[in-house]
Amino acid sequence: MNWRGKLNKYLASAYKNWIISRRNIFTIFEIFFWPMISLLSIGLLTKFLKVDEGMVSFLLVGAIALTILQVAQIDVAYVLLFDMWSKSIKNTFIAPVRSYHLVFGALLFGIVRGSVVFFILVVVSHYLFGFNFLAGGLLPVLIFLAGVFAVSAIIGIIVCISILTFGQKADVAAWSLSGLILLVSGIYYPVDVLPLPLQAAARAIPLTYFLEYYRSVFIPEQHNLVLGATLAGLYLVVGLILFDRAIERARRTGIMLRLSE
Amino acid sequence: MGEKPVQAQGICKSYRRFFGATTTVLKDISMEVETGEIFGLLGPNGSGKTTLISIFSTLIYPEVGRLRILGLDAHKGRDEIRKLINISTAKPNFPWSLTVKENLRHFGMLYGLYGPALSQTVRDQIDAFELGDFQDMKFEDLSTGLKQRLSLAKAMLNRPRLLFLDEPTTGLDPDISMKTRQLIQRIHEEEEISVVLSTHYMPEAEMLCDRIAFLRKGEIVALDTPQNLKNQLGLGEKVTVLYEGSVGLAELERLPGVINVFSAPGRVEMMIDRSAENLDMIVKHFAKARILDIIIMQPDLEDVFLELAR
Repeated sequence: MNWRGKLNKYLASAYKNWIISRRNIFTIFEIFFWPMISLLSIGLLTKFLKVDEGMVSFLLVGAIALTILQVAQIDVAYVLLFDMWSKSIKNTFIAPVRSYHLVFGALLFGIVRGSVVFFILVVVSHYLFGFNFLAGGLLPVLIFLAGVFAVSAIIGIIVCISILTFGQKADVAAWSLSGLILLVSGIYYPVDVLPLPLQAAARAIPLTYFLEYYRSVFIPEQHNLVLGATLAGLYLVVGLILFDRAIERARRTGIMLRLSE
Repeated sequence: MGEKPVQAQGICKSYRRFFGATTTVLKDISMEVETGEIFGLLGPNGSGKTTLISIFSTLIYPEVGRLRILGLDAHKGRDEIRKLINISTAKPNFPWSLTVKENLRHFGMLYGLYGPALSQTVRDQIDAFELGDFQDMKFEDLSTGLKQRLSLAKAMLNRPRLLFLDEPTTGLDPDISMKTRQLIQRIHEEEEISVVLSTHYMPEAEMLCDRIAFLRKGEIVALDTPQNLKNQLGLGEKVTVLYEGSVGLAELERLPGVINVFSAPGRVEMMIDRSAENLDMIVKHFAKARILDIIIMQPDLEDVFLELAR
């Protein structure tokens, strides 16, 4: 099989997610309604509290990061969720596909949707709250987005592994894990305010480092981007290995068959 | 071992349930499928047909046993095997909001098709399975028969050398079932592929299969050609007598050559061994009654099924 055939095995998931999203009215809620609600509520809160410019940037960076994360991670999770809901998992896994085909194809579509959401939020936050997301130049934005998308892929992989391990009931993970991230990775407050065990958990989440890196553009502070990127890369590789193992386990236990019935 | 489509030895499968209990689904399955044949897996519901087909198609793995598919070890060579096989499942399901064409395109991409070849393959399958009028219809809006045709079309996207069909006519109207069987026969002849088909419809197995394995409670209880199975089981012939008057049914059952008797008012069905030339004695047994009709039939696969499923 040449490179175009191999590439299409990745693009298959992006194609499926694109068609399903295009026909789903709730897509509008996912990429317009909820992101706007999130941004506006945090933006208005900063006005009410009359916080300084630095704090506005701190909170809006957190709000936007969380929103993009939620949009992109659900796209990765959708790669199995759509199959599970339509009971067609059997057809996907009878084909010669591996975990990375599914994850990277779905992530590609997640990146497109996340980027659209990012663009909208950046424009709105600039006009309504005077926050310039590009103040530090394009490179920090791209690094920040790469980090958010990598973490989205990791969360999406965890959801997929949960589905293949625990069956249909595990789809609740698709909406719960980002809540955990919200709590511990410094979305709306610095991780220093967390109790010590949660601080340790925060330091194990790559998003914490990408947030600190991007916020340092607006509020000079220490960051460790290299560690964040290393953790993200490591988790992605380990996640893909575990996803492949979860697929194999589901074949051994028969869950693969039950998910299609 | 040669490159037979399926070579299975001692395949066992059980599912773990709550509190560590296990349910055994397949016990010591050993069989081979020859190149180019349509091999049937028959058995009542819950006999393990779908599990066995799922194992052969590498969708799930056996706990014990050796399995080679198209000459490749089913575990070590699973990626290669999946390029060479495909499956059409019972109660076919696909992403609901994708149309027929989009579903075929999506699965074509998963098999590594691209560019004009992908478009052409999708068109060919739409034409071959007469889905042209429905190609822009969403899966959720298709009738059961059309869903089955889409499933068969999907199964042919990668031009498989070995095709698995799991109860391909379940839930279809009789006329659509017949068309589907003809379609399967046509694919088999035109594409020269080996087919493993599971069904609990006897006419389907009789029409399509070169050889048949009967499964009961996860075990193969018989494996041969349909004709040999009928001969081996010595089922005799089915004689139906319609009559008026009285007949001693208990005595009838004891006559030499009578294998079994089923009776209803004015009607007796018997399986008899005609080689013992007992037909004359049976007819004489009805001397006190008025015979309205006598029907003598060769046993069909249904009778084999009933005998083996007992």
